[in-house]
Amino acid sequence: MKKTLAILFASTALTAGIGFPAWSAMHETTLFEGLSDAVLDAGQDLGVVLASDDDDDDRDHGRQFRRGDDDEDDEDDSRGDSVSAPAPAGSVAPPNNGLFGNGAAPKAQVN
Amino acid sequence: MRNILAALALTTALTLPGIAMARPVTLTTTLKNYGGNGAYLAIYVTDPKGAYAGSLWMAGTKSKYYGHLSDWYRATGGNTAEINGITGASVGAGRRLAITLDLADALFDAGYTLHVDAAVEDMRDSPNEIAVPLTAKGAGQPVQGRRYIAHFSYGM
Repeated sequence: MKKTLAILFASTALTAGIGFPAWSAMHETTLFEGLSDAVLDAGQDLGVVLASDDDDDDRDHGRQFRRGDDDEDDEDDSRGDSVSAPAPAGSVAPPNNGLFGNGAAPKAQVN
Repeated sequence: MRNILAALALTTALTLPGIAMARPVTLTTTLKNYGGNGAYLAIYVTDPKGAYAGSLWMAGTKSKYYGHLSDWYRATGGNTAEINGITGASVGAGRRLAITLDLADALFDAGYTLHVDAAVEDMRDSPNEIAVPLTAKGAGQPVQGRRYIAHFSYGM
C-alpha cells in the first residue's frame, strides 16, 4: 500500500513538474493580454490618458515605400496604373502652370 | 522712323512687364542624417484657398513611388505631366538640394504656400513635411522639417 501511494505521489509530482510549465507557457500570451486589457480598462475607468510617442499625424501617414517585387521590371507604374516617367529637368520646358515666370528651366544642385 | 520708334516702344512695353513679373528664387532643402536611402521630395504650391496651384520640383524619378508623396499625389493624381522638365534625382541623407528658378512675382505676399512632401524607402512617409507661406519677409528664414528635412529656406 505504501509502495502504491509512493508511486502515485511520484507520478503526480512529475506530471505537475513537467505539465505546469508547459501549460503556463501556452497560456502566457493570453494571460498577458488579459492582464493588459484589465490595466487598460482600469486606466479608462480612472480617466487616465496613456501616453504614446506616436502623434495622430504619424498614425495617419504610417505608410512607407519599399523597392518591392515590382522593382525587377523597373517600369514606372504608379499604383498599378500605367504612368510614364516624367521628363527630366533640362530635357523639356517646365510645365506651364503659371508659377514659372519666364519659362526658363530650373537649375538644381546637390552637395 | 516713327513707325520704328512706335514698334520699339511697343516691344519694350510688352517685354518689361514680363521681366518684372518673375524673380530668381533659390529653394534650399537640407536633409537630416536619417540613415536611409535617398529621399523623394515633391515641392509644390497651394493657392490662398489651399488648392493645388502647381509643382516646382520633384526629386526622384520613379513614378511608382510618387504615391508615397501622398499630399502631392492626392492633388495631382500622380500626373507626371505636372513635373515634366522639373524632375531630378532623389536626395541622399545629409545632402543639400538647391534649386534656382524664376518664380512669378504674383506668388509672393498673396497667400500662396510652398509645401514639401518627403518619402524614404523602408521608412515612414512624411507628407507636408514643410509648409511655408511665400512672403518677401519670409525669404532667408529657415524652417525646420518634421522627419527627414533638417531645414528648408527660400532666398531671393
